[in-house]
Amino acid sequence: MVEGEKQKLGESSEEVRIGVYVCHCGLNIAGSLNCEEVAKFASTLPHVVLAKDYRYTCSDQGQAMIKSDIKEHKLNRVVVASCSPRLHEPTFRKVCEEAGLNKYLFEMANIREQCSWVHLYDREAATEKAKDLVKMAVAKAALLQPLEEIEVPILRKALVIGGGVAGIQAALDLADTGYEVYLVEKEPSIGGMMARIDKTFPTMDCSICILAPKMSDVGHHPNIELLANSEVIDVKGYIGNFHVKILKKPRYVTKDCSACGECAKVCPVIAPNEFDAGLAVRHAIYTPFAQAVPATYIIDMRLCLNKEGIIVCDKCIRACERQAINFEMKPETVEIDVGTIIVATGADVFDPSTLPNYGYGKYPNVITSLEFERLINAGGPSGGHLIRPSDKQIPKRVAFVQCVGSRSNRNERQYCSNVCCMNTIKDSLLIKEHWPETEIYVFYVDIRAYGKGFEDLYRRAREEGVKFIRGLPAEIIEDKKTRNLWLIGENTLQKELYKINVDMVILSVGLEPRKDSEIIQRLLTISRTQHGFFLEAHPKLRPVDAATGGIFFAGCAEAPKDIKDSVTQASAAAARAGILMAKGKISVEAITPITFPENCKACGLCTKVCPYNALTLRKELKRVEVIEAACGGCGTCAAECPFEALTQKHFTDKQILAQIDAVTEHEAHKKIVAFCCNWCAYAGADFAGVSRMQYPPDVRIIRTMCSGRVSPKFIERAFARGAAAVLVAGCHPGDCHYINTNYQTQKRVERFWKKMEQLGLNKERLQLLWASAAEGERIASKIREMHEMIRKISLDEIERTKKAFGGS
Amino acid sequence: MPERIWRKPLDSEKAKLPKAEIHILRDQCKGCGYCIQYCPQRVLEESNDINARGVHPPRVVDESKCVLCSFCTSVCPDFAIFVIEKKECKENVKHD
Repeated sequence: MVEGEKQKLGESSEEVRIGVYVCHCGLNIAGSLNCEEVAKFASTLPHVVLAKDYRYTCSDQGQAMIKSDIKEHKLNRVVVASCSPRLHEPTFRKVCEEAGLNKYLFEMANIREQCSWVHLYDREAATEKAKDLVKMAVAKAALLQPLEEIEVPILRKALVIGGGVAGIQAALDLADTGYEVYLVEKEPSIGGMMARIDKTFPTMDCSICILAPKMSDVGHHPNIELLANSEVIDVKGYIGNFHVKILKKPRYVTKDCSACGECAKVCPVIAPNEFDAGLAVRHAIYTPFAQAVPATYIIDMRLCLNKEGIIVCDKCIRACERQAINFEMKPETVEIDVGTIIVATGADVFDPSTLPNYGYGKYPNVITSLEFERLINAGGPSGGHLIRPSDKQIPKRVAFVQCVGSRSNRNERQYCSNVCCMNTIKDSLLIKEHWPETEIYVFYVDIRAYGKGFEDLYRRAREEGVKFIRGLPAEIIEDKKTRNLWLIGENTLQKELYKINVDMVILSVGLEPRKDSEIIQRLLTISRTQHGFFLEAHPKLRPVDAATGGIFFAGCAEAPKDIKDSVTQASAAAARAGILMAKGKISVEAITPITFPENCKACGLCTKVCPYNALTLRKELKRVEVIEAACGGCGTCAAECPFEALTQKHFTDKQILAQIDAVTEHEAHKKIVAFCCNWCAYAGADFAGVSRMQYPPDVRIIRTMCSGRVSPKFIERAFARGAAAVLVAGCHPGDCHYINTNYQTQKRVERFWKKMEQLGLNKERLQLLWASAAEGERIASKIREMHEMIRKISLDEIERTKKAFGGS
Repeated sequence: MPERIWRKPLDSEKAKLPKAEIHILRDQCKGCGYCIQYCPQRVLEESNDINARGVHPPRVVDESKCVLCSFCTSVCPDFAIFVIEKKECKENVKHD
């Protein structure tokens, strides 16, 4: 071994002195397990010179204690047993650095999310598990090495995906700070949902009147390049250095367009305008609404008579004085490099035609709240007159039905959509303002008027005579003659049935994730919650960051929210992205591979599995070269290498094997050794803890950055040492944080299953699980299932497995 | 905006397109079929009749689908088809 690397991997002769701190976290940990006993146990472990339990280790006093201990007791490794490393590892790493210790000499044992919170009622077993977790951390800590991080430059340009109010605000904030911004919008105009709404709650401002100036600012800002009618089709690279491909679809109208509208007047094709929810007509050449930015008209080629490529109809060409129409335009791919990305892709609205009892799509006078917005809007098809679709008369009695597509187990939309209660209250007041005689009923589950000024608006609506009835209608029935509607249901406050006749029903539809958010998820390798909205890095402390570096969220893409919250979040996301870009560089974690050229046979297997092309084979030199800046840090190359010529820094083979050995030292036959990827499965196990989902305490989780790091020899070692079962858990196929590395995991596990079959072993003892960061229950139930399975495994079988894999 | 669009737009009467009146000079047609092939609205089809030149002239399938692009007139080599705007009584009053 080269001397330098030996030193880096630290087979140095320096004495290892470990300090262990077992945190009570108030009663969060100490309430379910005996922290003193765990600390006492830790003091008996090899290399441990000091072990303490402390009430709040992350507090200033706790941090000061660790710092002074490092100096006083000459500690050169620190282990803290407390919460998840996903929460406080950065905190304690900083403590070590401040005390003059390399931050990679710190290790954490997760005894809260993955122990005390998931075993609330079994103090003894939880204490034993915590001891094991500390033992594993100490075993790894003894082998930790100081590491240096490399710095990566951050491009001072940003990409904002989505041009709704959130995207607009984020783009303007970044551009005003002085960064170059690309704003990509799928639709022909920016503006998003806010542009389609008539008034905003609680102030009753005109929506487009406050949005249009911002839209026009975007159009004119020297630092913003607006790419409307465009879609992001490819994203490569990493924090600070993203290479993005954008498909710019043709408008068939050039920038010379003065938006005079003469072309649309002569266009012989008409179709429903999507902007007006199909309630108004537009032509094949059109602008979605008067305030559109860019104002340039667009030709809908699906409708235009010239779609076959022959100019059959030239009416618009002849009508255009400025000769701005060009049927020769082709789709273009624009390639840009940016340092940060803000995802502001918004949300879709729920389609109520999937609820047949409300009759939407069948009864003309049942409309959605979005259709209502277009009807009451002066720019809409009825010029601001609320008319019912069947006879275009102004309705005298109106009902609103709340929670359509929200807070329901039907359609799997259990979440609250946040905006519908206030939107309905606002809408009811709008009706009262124009037609005060109208009778208005609101059928609700709960009215959530939680925000600033919301309760006042709610009170006003009640004072104006809007009748609020608790209990959603079970069914809506249409009177065939009059097209009026009967609402039938139970008033749950008065415990009586109601049957109410109205002229028009407005379904207050909920918000749901964009149907194409899966594409964005894959392009950016980010996660989504169980409901499909994008998942933030931490729900409290990093609410606008994605877990993937350099990517931020704004608006409804992250969760349903109103305009004010979207704007707030957009400014926050812009500030977060701005921090990165202002620094201009970032250090990347030292978890890149390290090579041992003397073992390398130049077989090139590692180069084939690397998803980032960060390894190059130098056949003539009989070794591989690592491009550290390109490396994502998954470690799959280390799992692939059959010659131990490559390992991952901070997750070395030796360190992981030491963790396995620590788990299996006592009563291995009762334990499950689990390998969880940092981004999905480990985060999911944390989520199970945060949600206090209970599962049996047999499992010991070893964290790897990616499930692709799990080498077959780790599984082999666990079985050779008598482990009852092994679980390998990672992100769902297609959702891998490291592009596609989990396919390597699958391949390796499948190969191992085959091997077990050949050896006559029960292959059920090795399990593979795909679980996202939001799927705590999936992990908990897998562990419960495995708990049942390992109870049936005989000691004899365990002995046989041990022998088969060369154990003693 | 992927909401399902199923209603007839409420203002569709406002955006009424001019109605077409298609005239075919049947005996002038030599049956090349260009008008049928190139009509973007598929308004024409070959008829079973035989004209003076011994070919099947086109026949109107649905006049209401015609949007008056007049491409048939442009491509007809024999000047055998033309389209004019149908004047309705009411509209006449308005125009005058």
